[in-house]
Amino acid sequence: MENHEPEHDKGLLSDTFWRTPQRAVPGRPYQRVIPNEVMSGSSYQQFQASVNDAWDLGDDEIISGIADTKISKSISETAALNVINSHRNSTKNVNRSDVKVESEVKSKEVVEVKKNEGRKVGGGSGIRQYPGRPRPVRLSALASREESSESKLERFQQIHDSTVVNLDELKQISWSGIPVKARAVTWRLLAGYLPANSERRADTLQRKRADYKHLVRQYYDAERDDDTYRQIHIDIPRMSPLVALFQQNTVQVMFERILYIWAIRHPASGYVQGINDLVTPFFMVFLQEAVPGEELDNYPLDKLTEEKRDIIEADSFWCLSKFLDSVQDNYIFAQLGIQYKVNQLKELIRRIDLPLHEHLQQHGVDYLQFSFRWMNNLLTREIPLACTIRLWDTYLAESDEFATFQLYVCAAFLLHWRERLMLERDFQGLMILLQNVPTQNWTDSNISVLVAEAYRLKFAFADAPKHLQSGKADR
Amino acid sequence: MGTREDEYDYLFKVVLIGDSGVGKSSLLSRFTRNEFNLESKSTIGVEFATRSIEVDGKTIKAQIWDTAGQERYRAITSAYYRGAVGALLVYDIAKHLSYENVERWLRELRDHADQNILIMLVGNKSDLRHLRSIPTEEAKAFAEANGLSFIETSALDSTNVEPAFQNILTEIYRIVSQRQMRDPPEGDVIRPDAEPADVRPSQADSVRRQCCQ
Repeated sequence: MENHEPEHDKGLLSDTFWRTPQRAVPGRPYQRVIPNEVMSGSSYQQFQASVNDAWDLGDDEIISGIADTKISKSISETAALNVINSHRNSTKNVNRSDVKVESEVKSKEVVEVKKNEGRKVGGGSGIRQYPGRPRPVRLSALASREESSESKLERFQQIHDSTVVNLDELKQISWSGIPVKARAVTWRLLAGYLPANSERRADTLQRKRADYKHLVRQYYDAERDDDTYRQIHIDIPRMSPLVALFQQNTVQVMFERILYIWAIRHPASGYVQGINDLVTPFFMVFLQEAVPGEELDNYPLDKLTEEKRDIIEADSFWCLSKFLDSVQDNYIFAQLGIQYKVNQLKELIRRIDLPLHEHLQQHGVDYLQFSFRWMNNLLTREIPLACTIRLWDTYLAESDEFATFQLYVCAAFLLHWRERLMLERDFQGLMILLQNVPTQNWTDSNISVLVAEAYRLKFAFADAPKHLQSGKADR
Repeated sequence: MGTREDEYDYLFKVVLIGDSGVGKSSLLSRFTRNEFNLESKSTIGVEFATRSIEVDGKTIKAQIWDTAGQERYRAITSAYYRGAVGALLVYDIAKHLSYENVERWLRELRDHADQNILIMLVGNKSDLRHLRSIPTEEAKAFAEANGLSFIETSALDSTNVEPAFQNILTEIYRIVSQRQMRDPPEGDVIRPDAEPADVRPSQADSVRRQCCQ
């Protein structure tokens, strides 16, 4: 297929996961050297000066350090195979059959990866590294999920325990879902909040949590911006009206602080309705870590020590901030990022499924009418919370690519309902279905299928923009 | 969607606007599904529902667009004013600010909606008697001065929700059917389900279903 990437780009691509490290995109790793003293955080003023653009350079610096470490493909593949082999040996006695399934899947993955690479650039070397490729729906793996999750958990723990976490590897195995017990730490790492270097972790967490407390004192406990606060205050109580956990005052105040401070630190967007829903997954994952095995829907937060609550709150805040960096234009004036993506979605569906596109058009259904919420709330309103959390394993594994990837998830989501949509005969029927898609019984396996399909679409269309343009004139 | 739902004589698009948290979504769910949730989630962008009512033996289908109240959404939501023949401008009788903002919402309609749009001012949450901060008379006088109809409702206890929608839909119907008698629609018929956005009072606005079948 076409590949018009200039030579110098190719060089970068083959060396690092990050495509264009020098691009000044907020939240992206920079090749900029920042003296350590600036981020040592000894005084709040220093801290504030260092984050005056609201981006935390310190952690990014760490990430870019990782990105600089050049790991050749053959080495990483050998390493992956070594992990599998040693893992197979170590668990042989425990459960032979499951391990076999797992390693078979894994080796199939490696084959898949090679096959896809070959197909894409016709043997060229300038290939972009996609984190954790989706495999052709792993029904066997899904069936034996419970058993295989044990071994998967071990792999996560091995990665977590290494002196410098291999983020590419972590992304790769996270893409297809993270075991509950490994999720909180993995999310922190993937969000770029927790440093990959284990020596720096304790310090960083302590400093960031203290920094958050400073922010609360400076902005939330002081005189607040009325408009911002009012809107958040109206939205929080009605966030998840039927879940007792979110009706607790303690929880609501935690959410209010997180959102208020995020809004103040992001004046270009401020708080936008719906961002509240985006705190929830982080909150739940960190709460789950604090009270493992407990039923969360009714968990009385006051039972937790203040220290534990502060950790949940601060970590939710920082991870949310990192996570939203790549979709900031979704929430700026006129929500241009969303409008742009809605148009892309429309183009994409027209290309992929013309009958469905024409069916929607013919009945006057505008993509903005239904997909706006999908994009604004990153599908949190359309699928159950547990599924959102599973979906975010993949989103976080996509890191900076996630904004684009989400577009393909939305496309896959729309296509999932195509048969039912084609049966609807009028505007009303279409809109009502699109606004209330029946996902109540969805589980993680639905999400695995969804992201695999999204990945397939992205693979076919994302790097071939001409695909989207050709034939435009006839519409 | 049952087949009965498909049969109607007129299709009118109505928008629900007003500040965040005044109860627009609750009015909509009370009217279209007779449901009320004490805390319904905030509306993101726009949401849509329909209900048909009878006026003078004619079936009128209301296509109601519920909009997000937050200012940030204005650019998105104002796109939905196009083609609307009626607007319920809602405020909360216990929240003075939501009443003060009514003028801004009127400007918003003037800028983005059809100039013939019928507007009804709706003071919601009338069940909160002890918290009332806007006297009925004051709002009524304001409505009269601005050429709006006016009603107070409670989505919670159902008071006046039905009449609010009935009144505005009936009023739209009267205007439309009178104009239709004055200048009968021309040959080019708009299929109501195909292009709901184009049903507006300034044009050949409504179609009898029979015409297009």
